[in-house]
Amino acid sequence: MKRATIAVVATVAGVAWILGFKVTPHSTGLASAGSPQPSPTAEPASPATGSPGPSPTPTPKAGGVNGTFTGSDVPNRFGDVQIKVVISNGHIADVQALQLPTDRAQSAYISQVAGPILRSEVIQAQSARIDIVSGATYTSESYAQSVQSALQQAHLG
Amino acid sequence: MPLRQVREVMGMPVTIHVADDNPAASEGVDEAFADFVLLDRTFSPFLADSLLSRINRGELAVSESGALVQQALDLCRHYERATRGYFSAWPHGRLEPSGLVKGWAIDRACSILDRRGCRHYFVDAGGDVQTRGSSDTGGPWRVGIRHPVDRGDVVRVILAADLAVATSGTYEKGAHIVNPHTGKPAEDWLSFTVVGPDILTADICATAAFAMGDEGLGFIEAMPGFEAYAIERNLVARWTAGFDAFCAAPDRS
Repeated sequence: MKRATIAVVATVAGVAWILGFKVTPHSTGLASAGSPQPSPTAEPASPATGSPGPSPTPTPKAGGVNGTFTGSDVPNRFGDVQIKVVISNGHIADVQALQLPTDRAQSAYISQVAGPILRSEVIQAQSARIDIVSGATYTSESYAQSVQSALQQAHLG
Repeated sequence: MPLRQVREVMGMPVTIHVADDNPAASEGVDEAFADFVLLDRTFSPFLADSLLSRINRGELAVSESGALVQQALDLCRHYERATRGYFSAWPHGRLEPSGLVKGWAIDRACSILDRRGCRHYFVDAGGDVQTRGSSDTGGPWRVGIRHPVDRGDVVRVILAADLAVATSGTYEKGAHIVNPHTGKPAEDWLSFTVVGPDILTADICATAAFAMGDEGLGFIEAMPGFEAYAIERNLVARWTAGFDAFCAAPDRS
C-alpha cells in the first residue's frame, strides 16, 4: 500500500520534470512520508526553443554569483540537450534539463510509472567532511558542454 | 600514526590507508601494491608481453596460462551468469577482463592486509573502495559520492564500516559502458553507485547495472546486502529502499 502511494507521487514528480517544471528536492521527502500530494514549488521553465540565446537573471548578492543561466542547445545523435543551471553564492545549486532527447524523456516517463521507483530527488551538492570520494569523473559530452556554457555565462566556467 | 600511500597503478591512483597502529602494516601495504602490479602485468591489454596480450594474439593457450588466469576466468564466468550477461569478459570475442581486475585487485589487497593483522583501513582504486573497521577518528569511514558536475562536491555521504562502494559512469578517457546485448553505449545514467559487503561484486554489479539502464536499480534491489544510488542525466537521483540506512544525514550548508 505504501509502495503504491510512493509510486503515484513519484509519477507526479516525474511528469512535472518532463514538462519542464522545477521540482524542489523537498517534494521527494514527502514522497517517502507517504503524503498524498507532493507540493513542488513549480515554476514554468523558459520555453525550450531552438535559439540558444542566453537568458541570465542574475541577482547580485554578496559572497558570489547568483542567478539562473541557460546553456546552449547542444545537439547529439539522440536529439538536443539544453541545461539550466541555478547558481547560488558561486556554487551550482541546481541543474535542470530544459531539453532532452524525446525518446529519453518518454522512456524516463515510462520508468517513473513502471520502474522500481523508491526514492528520487534532484541531487544537491554538499560539502561534508569525507575520507574517500567515489565517483565517475565525467559526463556525456553534449551534457557537459551545455552545463559548461551556462557556467561561462555565470563567469564560473 | 595512520599509514597512507598513494601510487599510480593500472593507469589510476590507488590509495591504501591503514589506521591501525600496526608495525606490520608497512610491509602489508608494500605487498598489497606489489600484488596490484602483478595483476596489472598479467592482465593489462596495454602491455604487449602481458599474459592477456599473449592469449589474445594466440601465442598462449588459456589452459597453459597458470593459476592466476584460471582463477580470473572462473570469476568472470561466475559474474557473467550472475549479471545475466551484462558483465562480460568476452565483449568483442577477445578476452577483456579489465572490468573484473580492478575490484579483484582491491579484494586481494584487503586479504593481504588482513593477513598482516590490519583491522582498520581502506583500499581505494580510482574511486572504488573497500573499507574495514573504523577511520582514524574512530567513526565509520565517510565515503562521498561525487557530484557529476560540481566535482569538488559530493551528493551523499556513505558511512562505511566493512563496506565496499563502487561507482560506474562515463569516464573522462572517453570509454563508454556498452550494453553487451545491444552493442550500444548505455545512456541512461550519469553515474551508478553500488554499496555492499564486497568490492568485487559491488564493482562488477555497478558496471552491469549501469549497462542495464532502467532495470539496473531493480537488479541491485534484488541482491541481498547491496544497495544502489543512481544519477540520471537530468541530475535526478533514484535509489534503492535500503540505501538511506547507509548514509550520513545531509549537510547542505
